[in-house]
Amino acid sequence: MQFIVQTTALTKRYAGRSVVNQVSLSVPEGSVYGFIGPNGAGKSTTMKMLLGLVKPSGGEILLLGKRMEEKNRLELLRQTGSLVESPSCYGHLTGEENLQIVAELKNVPKKDIDRVLEIVELTGCRKRKVKQYSLGMRQRLGIAQALLGNPKLLILDEPTNGLDPSGIQQMRSLIREMPQRCGATVLISSHLLSEMEQMVDQVGIINHGELLFQGKLAALRQHSQGDISLRVLRPEKALPILGNLAKPDREQGTFRLPAMREELLAELVQRLAVGQAGVVELNRHTRSLEEIFLSLTGEEAK
Amino acid sequence: MLLSCVRAEKRKLRRSPIWLLFLAVPAISAVYGTFNYNMNRGILTHGWYDLWTQYTLFYAIFFFAPLIGVYSAYLWRLEHRGHNWNLIMTAPVRPFCLYFAKFCAVTKMALLTQAWLLALFAIGGKFGAGLTGFPPPEILLWLLRGVIGGLAIIALQLLLSMVIRNFALPVLIALGGSVAGLLAVSEGAGLYWPYSLMIMGMNSNRTEDVMAGGIWGFLLSCSVFLTVLLLTAGILLTKRDVNA
Repeated sequence: MQFIVQTTALTKRYAGRSVVNQVSLSVPEGSVYGFIGPNGAGKSTTMKMLLGLVKPSGGEILLLGKRMEEKNRLELLRQTGSLVESPSCYGHLTGEENLQIVAELKNVPKKDIDRVLEIVELTGCRKRKVKQYSLGMRQRLGIAQALLGNPKLLILDEPTNGLDPSGIQQMRSLIREMPQRCGATVLISSHLLSEMEQMVDQVGIINHGELLFQGKLAALRQHSQGDISLRVLRPEKALPILGNLAKPDREQGTFRLPAMREELLAELVQRLAVGQAGVVELNRHTRSLEEIFLSLTGEEAK
Repeated sequence: MLLSCVRAEKRKLRRSPIWLLFLAVPAISAVYGTFNYNMNRGILTHGWYDLWTQYTLFYAIFFFAPLIGVYSAYLWRLEHRGHNWNLIMTAPVRPFCLYFAKFCAVTKMALLTQAWLLALFAIGGKFGAGLTGFPPPEILLWLLRGVIGGLAIIALQLLLSMVIRNFALPVLIALGGSVAGLLAVSEGAGLYWPYSLMIMGMNSNRTEDVMAGGIWGFLLSCSVFLTVLLLTAGILLTKRDVNA
């Protein structure tokens, strides 16, 4: 697999305190990679380091197969589009004039402006001053700025922040289409996993500057199998069969079993049936992705 | 790369409120200068030259540097607002080009300001003070020299406004610097203080040329200040983390 972004032990320290600690990201080419973590987890700092806005205290960054360092910086930025922290624009100018400024800086032909305005569906508002834009329109203008010049990599820092549900929906479908429509790999951050669920193929979960999980969304879902609750009519017969495996619940005849493979569970039920324990209820507690995220980041409501 | 940045800066100045100040500040100097000249005709007997002393009395000492300060603070304010620093610093251009493009934009505005002052001087002299003939050619040279002396002020004000996010503080520093500049000129130390160079270049409040003895010291001082300030800006932009 080709990785368009790869970091090795990426670290940033401020006054001796690590805000990003030994983060090794691998973003596959052509994917939409969700970089998720609570506020202050280190997402923006990591993204800023990828873009050369913040200098790393340690570690290495490979973008598009090249080391992010001063001599490669301009070449790599030419192939990267970004929207960091919030959309950057000049309110006294129109949407089109804002794009003209970025097109000048990126040395991109003016006709590319029409293309990106169409993608973000702002063609009709191009002559309107940006200070009259809604937040959603500004976010889309920010994406249009990032898309100028057909970048191979898009780095978007919380582009859905502050948007209403319909704005989030629009942004979601826009980003989902990026790899097919523009040929760009997208690295997108958010503090909400649920918001990313329908958009991303890969996720990286970060908290307190450390990467806690990285992989396909399907792999994260495997963490979703939670405890099993078992209710029997005759607990005194079930106890010798369950042994140390189960903890009796407060409710009479109810036990809590840890997550286990389905074959093992079937075998256990069979033994309970033979032992005449009288199995009457078996429930598998499934955790939502949000719960997995919260348990990984330690933010779960106590 | 630099030209792209210069064109981008030009676009940012469109519909900018800064143009109102551009028109108003030299106009205030012109009205005040013409009024003062007319009130003191008894002692001001050198026609256009004396009118020049009245025009530059306040313009060069109190107005020019703060006006440059406002131009510079405005251009950086555009980047300090929101997260525009992220936008410009992720553009595939050298960070120094971003600063130097702003330097070119403010220099162009300073040249236009001087040209506007010249137009006001000619109109004020002809119709306000009733002077005959045309402004002497030295005036054009002094205005140009004012811009050359002003280059160090432009570089310094841009550097201050780049580092200080507050709009007013660099403008106040420019005002204080100009007052100190006047003192430095009167003490014969004008070449060692950037804010004095414009006052000297403009031949402010003098009828005879202060640089009649030679311009090389003035040019050398301008070059040294300019080089140091541009280098400092380049180093700061390259070495510091971007704090949008």
